[in-house]
Amino acid sequence: MRYQRWFTPWVLVVPALAWLLVFNLWPSINTVILSFTNAKPLGGGTFVGLRNFETLLHDEQLRWALLNSVIYMVVCLPFLTVLPLLLAVLVEKKLPGITFFRTAFYTPVVASAVVVALIWQWILDDRGLVNGLAEKLGVISGPLPFLSDQWLLLLSAISLTIWKGLGYYMIIYLAALGNVGRELHEAAAVDGAGPFRRFVHITIPGVRGTMILISILISVSALRVFSELFILSGGKGGPGGRDNSVVMLIQQYSQGFEGNLGYASALSIVLFFVTVVPMLVLARLNRRGAEA
Amino acid sequence: MRSRRLTPVAALAVAALTLAGCGLGSADTSSGSQPTVDANAQVTGEVSLQTWALKPKFTSYVEGVIKAFEAKYPGTKVNWLDQPGDGYDKKVLSQASAGQLPDVVNLPPDFALPLAKQQMLLDVGAADPKISEEYVEGGVQAYQYQGLTGTFGYPWYLNTDIDYWNSTKFAAAGLDVKSPPKTFDELLAAAKVMHDKTGGREYLMSRLPGIGDFTNAGVKILSDDGKKFEFNTPEAAALLDKYRDAYKAGYLPRDILTQEYLGNSKLFTQSKVAWTTGGGNAIQDFVKDNPSLKGKVVPSPALDTPPLYVQGLSVSAKTKNQAAAIALARFVTNAENQAAFAKIVNIFPSTKASAQDPYFSKSDGTPESDAKVLAFESLAKAKVLTPPIISGATNDFIGQQISLAIAGKISSQQALDAAVAKANQLLTQ
Repeated sequence: MRYQRWFTPWVLVVPALAWLLVFNLWPSINTVILSFTNAKPLGGGTFVGLRNFETLLHDEQLRWALLNSVIYMVVCLPFLTVLPLLLAVLVEKKLPGITFFRTAFYTPVVASAVVVALIWQWILDDRGLVNGLAEKLGVISGPLPFLSDQWLLLLSAISLTIWKGLGYYMIIYLAALGNVGRELHEAAAVDGAGPFRRFVHITIPGVRGTMILISILISVSALRVFSELFILSGGKGGPGGRDNSVVMLIQQYSQGFEGNLGYASALSIVLFFVTVVPMLVLARLNRRGAEA
Repeated sequence: MRSRRLTPVAALAVAALTLAGCGLGSADTSSGSQPTVDANAQVTGEVSLQTWALKPKFTSYVEGVIKAFEAKYPGTKVNWLDQPGDGYDKKVLSQASAGQLPDVVNLPPDFALPLAKQQMLLDVGAADPKISEEYVEGGVQAYQYQGLTGTFGYPWYLNTDIDYWNSTKFAAAGLDVKSPPKTFDELLAAAKVMHDKTGGREYLMSRLPGIGDFTNAGVKILSDDGKKFEFNTPEAAALLDKYRDAYKAGYLPRDILTQEYLGNSKLFTQSKVAWTTGGGNAIQDFVKDNPSLKGKVVPSPALDTPPLYVQGLSVSAKTKNQAAAIALARFVTNAENQAAFAKIVNIFPSTKASAQDPYFSKSDGTPESDAKVLAFESLAKAKVLTPPIISGATNDFIGQQISLAIAGKISSQQALDAAVAKANQLLTQ
């Protein structure tokens, strides 16, 4: 007696496939289509060829946004790849009360990005905690413009991302550290290797794959940053709009009755390619490293 | 091998090109939807009315108006929907996209414009020629757009801004609050005096210029056909230069250019600046939020031309009951109903007949009443200073360029040229 027909696997796959087609594939294809049009939320639009992409080439806002995204990635990448590993090594040790530290480091991850950014806004503004303390201690004579200077605002947003991401990547490293053989450390210790040498020659190679994965995750999320910059800049992209990210530009162009969906879609395509490049580079590095 | 790899790509490309027409409709048109009935058609049947954030505060008022309408036109039934204040634009956009706009819908002029462009709103002026006789000119004009023929809404209620001054701060700087500045140049001169006399501790001004200020300076914002922005003139640059110099000299607070800027009105309420603009009842809010301001706030007419803020009721072009929809929009906005509404909330009626109502035109001598009368009198010369076509990304970009010019990072002319170029690009896209 056979209960299984040839179509049984397809029946099981259909819900997931339908979901994928409707909510992933179709929107992606539609974005590509819209990027060649002057579509608006009402009344659609017409085919305009490469006009949106031509406009992108001369868009000063996009240049600033790309620069911000690249700076974001370049700064976040080393910090968020190395610091969480050090933290993970620290909290991996079985010491009394270590769970408290594990939880404390993970807390920012659980908090909503918007809430965290708002708290940081209060901390960093002219009358905020940091400026208040620094002024009381006599370190500065006037408030530092963390939120009103183009570069300080970007730096503040990067610091926030790093602080918030530490716990998340630490947990991933903790899982990876569990797979690094204890006997390797013991053997190295017997051979006279100190903690630093063991870290460099055993721990790092042991979590190499995880490190590459984390680097890819950080690069992608840094290039697609939105909440931190949006909240800290009050949604306006900082002084003169020079602290926008590409995602913020997409949001600005697509909103409202007169939203330029065509142009916003062209920006999305640019963001897609910008995001794919570091992913490919890191994946290639990983492959080379694995082959070596 | 290569051809096998290319097959899915080619198939995807063909599919994409085939689908390219999906979601894309016709381009903009230049005339509004014409009504098929006139104001004298028989009014009966069901009709829907959408308002914006009137529940629960004004539920009984709106229900009373609806009851009166149903009594006046037996056989009619009004279905009232009230949408929350936040995200109303998104709600209207989704209704319009789905072709489900209510028959009568509350739309400010900048919301009505994109719908009118897509022929989603009825030209109520064509169905009801008396509209320009019975409603104030500025209100009606707010629903007439450059490049489009027709009137796309009944003006419902109006508001404007007047100036408020902090008399204590004026006295501290040796300025006379009884003769406050009347023009922008006088304002700048007073800002300098306040800065110099208080050693830079007190500020008079705390706002950035915008499109409304350019209009007030006599700058033409849009071309006559509404298809091109042209506010990058030497006059507009001169205005920005004045703001830049004032900012550099310290007459304006530093954080005016950042997100930390709370707004003119909040800073005034906190007694951090000596001047703000606000509606006719803003004085009550200042005193309520900061009781120490009681007796210290002096109102005066707005500098130059006061801005006109308009709300209106538009009729969906897709309504299945045009006669009842037009009658309802007219009924809700008639002089009697507007006057009753204006007595429970701080708005002013858009009907000419209300001009004689002593409630709006006579003061009882208190600063609150003076402010209300001043605002009402200002309505006569108030104008919509910012064309409704400026919204969203255009508005953001113009604001950013103005900030850069005032911060001195680029010249005023460069900022205006960049703003006009981007605004035109967004307009034609």
